[in-house]
Amino acid sequence: MPAGWTAPAGLFLLAFFLAPLARNAGVSIWPNGVAGGIDVQPYQRLFADPFYLGVLGQTLGLSFVAAAISALIGYPVAFFMVRKAGRFQALLTFLLIAPLLTSIIMRTYGWRVLMSRLGLVNALLRNLGIIDRPIDFLGGPWVAVAALVHVLVPFMVLSIAASLQGVDRRLEEASRLLGAGRVATFLRVTLPLTLDGVGTGFILVFMLANGSFVTLLLLGGGLQTLPLLIFQQFNTTRDFAFAGAMSNVLLVAAVLCLALQARLIRRRGVRA
Amino acid sequence: MRHGADRMVDAVSGAALLGFVVVFVVFLLAPILVVVAVAFSSLGYVAFPIPSLSLRWFVRVLTYEPFLDGLRVSAELAFASTALAALIGVPAALAIGRSSRPWAQGMAAFLLSPVSMPLIVLGYSLLFYLSVLGLGASFASLLIAHTVIGVPYLVRTVTGIYRSIPPDYEEASAILGAGRLASLFLVTLPLIRPGIFAGCLFAFLISFDNLPISYFFGSADASTLPVVMLSYMQSQFDPAIAAISTVQMVLAMIVLLVVERFYGLRRIGAPA
Repeated sequence: MPAGWTAPAGLFLLAFFLAPLARNAGVSIWPNGVAGGIDVQPYQRLFADPFYLGVLGQTLGLSFVAAAISALIGYPVAFFMVRKAGRFQALLTFLLIAPLLTSIIMRTYGWRVLMSRLGLVNALLRNLGIIDRPIDFLGGPWVAVAALVHVLVPFMVLSIAASLQGVDRRLEEASRLLGAGRVATFLRVTLPLTLDGVGTGFILVFMLANGSFVTLLLLGGGLQTLPLLIFQQFNTTRDFAFAGAMSNVLLVAAVLCLALQARLIRRRGVRA
Repeated sequence: MRHGADRMVDAVSGAALLGFVVVFVVFLLAPILVVVAVAFSSLGYVAFPIPSLSLRWFVRVLTYEPFLDGLRVSAELAFASTALAALIGVPAALAIGRSSRPWAQGMAAFLLSPVSMPLIVLGYSLLFYLSVLGLGASFASLLIAHTVIGVPYLVRTVTGIYRSIPPDYEEASAILGAGRLASLFLVTLPLIRPGIFAGCLFAFLISFDNLPISYFFGSADASTLPVVMLSYMQSQFDPAIAAISTVQMVLAMIVLLVVERFYGLRRIGAPA
């Protein structure tokens, strides 16, 4: 079909996707119009004020932790799926994708049902006589981490499984025949061959966690992240230049992640 | 001796891996299953153990005005934005689907890019942009925003399926004397219908579940169901949210089963 057929979609996204992001970037740099000159004060505040620097650190740190835990949990699951599951592989894939069918509100609500003071976990612990007063899980950051991992770990598993599927088993056999043990073979042959899959999954989870809003809003347990702060600035403080600067930083982080991912995929030589 | 020890290690590590995967599946499903359980609770608040089963919360959902209004807005919005995204996305996908020219690849990357942007950043930037254009928080703004996030799903599934269909059919149609439009409507569109259908399904579900963007754009007369649910959740913690989430999940599963039955999900899984 002629190239012109891309015009409606291209123009629509130009007008309602690219232009708003560009305008937002512009407003954060020239808050009083281009004639008013460049003002980097919002960025200065973000990168110099210890409070906002802390928020930035918490945002990236939380995403890093979520991605790292997802990788640690996801690798064995992916390994099981590709190498051991056999006819259960389809079932496991279904179980991985099924949570994606439920709304984000439902999953977030589910964590509250599990972890609140009157929730299932506290009720179980009390029945078993382990505790006599409910634990305030929601007051800390770990429920948010668990919920993030819950939402994002399927992406990690699928990414690692894809690269495990591509591993040439003869390389592992060769390593075994040459006298390496199971563990050595895994650490020196299998794992290095699948690091690209881990990397792609890691970046994807990190990127998605950076922008996550609902999970943090409802389960944050006192954590302050950039998406929450953007909403606060928008809703109450109404400091638009500062909110614009913060969303720009999130945007740049996303673009960097995308570029990294594209590099990884290109290096792997799979679909350019 | 060496072999015996190896087999022992195999059995133990295999059992450990299996156990790990079982725990993982429980982790995936628990937050969803507890919500379904709570939906049938007879209690006026969320607590365990559930003393007896009741449908009162389903009745409550069906008679609570704001939920019904939200549902109506969400359904209208999801239908309208999906239709608009298909209208502009399908022609674009046909134009770039089989081209390997650099412009086509660049255009494909551009049309897919909204999916990788943090939604909160997009919502924030777009709201201000549209306010300048005089739209502000309204159904029209919601429609524009949801179309932006729907286009990538249409483009991805349609290019995927269009690429997998050999050009022979369209060539045969042209040789047999069909004009461009006749070929398009009689040959190409029927062939790519599963892709269009799947893309529409994804776009619909994504729109229906979207919160970060709708949260910015919600106004008194146009609040989507997730926004209404969120504000309900912030003021009270009773099983009503569980009931409505359960209904939503069952509906999504039915839709998916229907799609699987008529089109087969495997056929549409081809990555763009």
